[in-house]
Amino acid sequence: MSTTTLLRDGQQVSAYHEQLTKQDLLEIYRRLWFARLFDEALYDAKKKGRLRRGNVYGSRGQEAIMVGTTYPLHEDDFVSPIHRDMPVFVFRGMRLEEVMCQIWGKAEAPTRGKDSWSHMGDISKGIIHSTSMLGSTIAVACGVLWAQRLDGRRDRVLVAYTGEGATATGPFHEGLNFAAVHKLPLIVVVENNQYAYSTPVELEVPTKTVAERALGYGIPGYSIDGNDVLEVYDTMCAALEHARAGNGPVLIECVTYRLQGHADHDETRARQYRPVEEIELWEQRDPIPRFRNYLLNTGQFTEAELPEPPRDLVEQIQRAIEYAINSPDPEPHTALEDIYDESAGVSRCVK
Amino acid sequence: MREVTFLEAIRLAIWEEMERDPNVFIIGEDIGRMGGAFGVTEGFLARFGPDRVVDAPISETAIVAVCVGAAAVGKRGIAEMQFIDFISYAFDQVVNVAGTYLYRSGGKVPIPIVVRGPSGGYVGGSLYHSQQFEAWFFHTPGVKVVQPAFPDDAYGLMKASIRDNNPVVFYEHKYLYRRIKGPIPEAHEDYIVKLGEARIRRYGDDITVITYGAMVHFALEAAQRLEREGISLEVIDLRTLKPLDMDTIAESLQKTSRVLIVHEAPKTGGIGAEISARISEHYFEWLDAPIMRVAAKDAFVPFAEPLEKFVLPSVDEIVFAARELAAY
Repeated sequence: MSTTTLLRDGQQVSAYHEQLTKQDLLEIYRRLWFARLFDEALYDAKKKGRLRRGNVYGSRGQEAIMVGTTYPLHEDDFVSPIHRDMPVFVFRGMRLEEVMCQIWGKAEAPTRGKDSWSHMGDISKGIIHSTSMLGSTIAVACGVLWAQRLDGRRDRVLVAYTGEGATATGPFHEGLNFAAVHKLPLIVVVENNQYAYSTPVELEVPTKTVAERALGYGIPGYSIDGNDVLEVYDTMCAALEHARAGNGPVLIECVTYRLQGHADHDETRARQYRPVEEIELWEQRDPIPRFRNYLLNTGQFTEAELPEPPRDLVEQIQRAIEYAINSPDPEPHTALEDIYDESAGVSRCVK
Repeated sequence: MREVTFLEAIRLAIWEEMERDPNVFIIGEDIGRMGGAFGVTEGFLARFGPDRVVDAPISETAIVAVCVGAAAVGKRGIAEMQFIDFISYAFDQVVNVAGTYLYRSGGKVPIPIVVRGPSGGYVGGSLYHSQQFEAWFFHTPGVKVVQPAFPDDAYGLMKASIRDNNPVVFYEHKYLYRRIKGPIPEAHEDYIVKLGEARIRRYGDDITVITYGAMVHFALEAAQRLEREGISLEVIDLRTLKPLDMDTIAESLQKTSRVLIVHEAPKTGGIGAEISARISEHYFEWLDAPIMRVAAKDAFVPFAEPLEKFVLPSVDEIVFAARELAAY
């Protein structure tokens, strides 16, 4: 039986967030700020020449997605974050110092300086590595979940992040199709920030919403306000229930906006290939003040309880950056390590 | 010893590895209910169940990706390409995802997968059921490439490939599937052929023929014919293309001083070009003649018999090239 439900604007799922404690709400607030400050610190480091290599992919304005989708996860669930989800690595248990070492290409980085930015992971923490071909990871996610099936763990969910642009790729289709055929607990979060580099969403997706793609797989598709952290949270809770119950994958389109360029190099052109008024409009939909106002209006919080920004987070991020900058570079010869793993001993040792 | 076909050797190797290790599973098109287009997985579904013998949609990308993702968390997936030609669909998964995974995980996440399927021509398969594009993966760091020619090697190499911790692309020449028979060891002997070791299939003194896959059989036939003319070929079956066993090549070359490389794939940019370059770089003084290559013409594999025959290498071509080389 197909259970397709296509929920659109205004049609909300249950208000799971009503169960959140004051402590939870404060933590969500702090995580939103953590994400914002992370982005600001990296842009600042790049601008000041402290980060001399690699791009900074901004996530300003998209914080509600990474916070709202990760908050309800179980510790043993999986995630595969992409380039605008850097804080997700930290939310899921990686040390901030590790993440900074990755960005600075240091020996201590999870990739030992081999790859950059978000192309990292930690299997022990359920963080699956993605590549630059964002759609590819949706298909890989099916394999991670297939392994759980072999181990009798059908309740472990994988949250695969992707962009609206990547929904036009083949692996996105093959992955979701496979997951739907086999009812794998895969939740695909499409961060629809409306631009794939310079290409607007209407040139990537022919339907009114990205969520409509779910119809082709007979799975639920949600198109939600990606700048409302509680709406994201609620939808995620509903999706998790669906997936854990063995009903198969869910597609969640979080509508948001990329306030910055594709990466830091693109700031000038990004204000040319799209209308400035559009950018200004979305500046006003900033998810952080929006959530803060909500908290104040509920009467549970005082102004003083919700600092803008929480100073300790600024310092925490700065300390991690200093740590990375002072951390040793990889030795050149290590560039030839980790190409093959010969520990299984079924190959002749090759020079 | 068991006397089996090339295909049966592969089937038994996979079967026995699945019996031995519950982490091994196989996924592909029509491999469960039907037992595979060529019958490599006949009986697997009944024995191992649908979670370990997965009938996949027509989705080569997803088929390989499922193996990659499962491998990242400790499984060993075997991806069957119904025809190895279709691996082009999964190119990104093999090259950019599987091949790079160990590297970009700082050495922490090996990807033990085998992407296998029937390859090669001489059966009228035409453009998309005849190819030998092993050079694509030969060129790719992080990936190993295997192509056996005899049942015992197919058996031992498949077991080694499944146990290997790296992505292996395993070429099974469909011309050999049911034509070639030979002995393989009993299951309890736990027979393994290490990846990266060539094997001399015929000893000789005058010319070193370096080849693999179906061409090993062509080279052996050519060697028989040339024996009557007093030309003695030493035939090296590479078995593993990557990593390449240059030691066995060098040892033979030192004796013969003449090299003929034979492959079924197109000549330009083929494995032969790399072998030739390495010989020139390291063993130039040992050569008494230019290195020669017999390979497919730089075309596609066409359908009509006269066309296919014209494009693909033949025993005659090997014989002519060897005569020329011997006379140099």
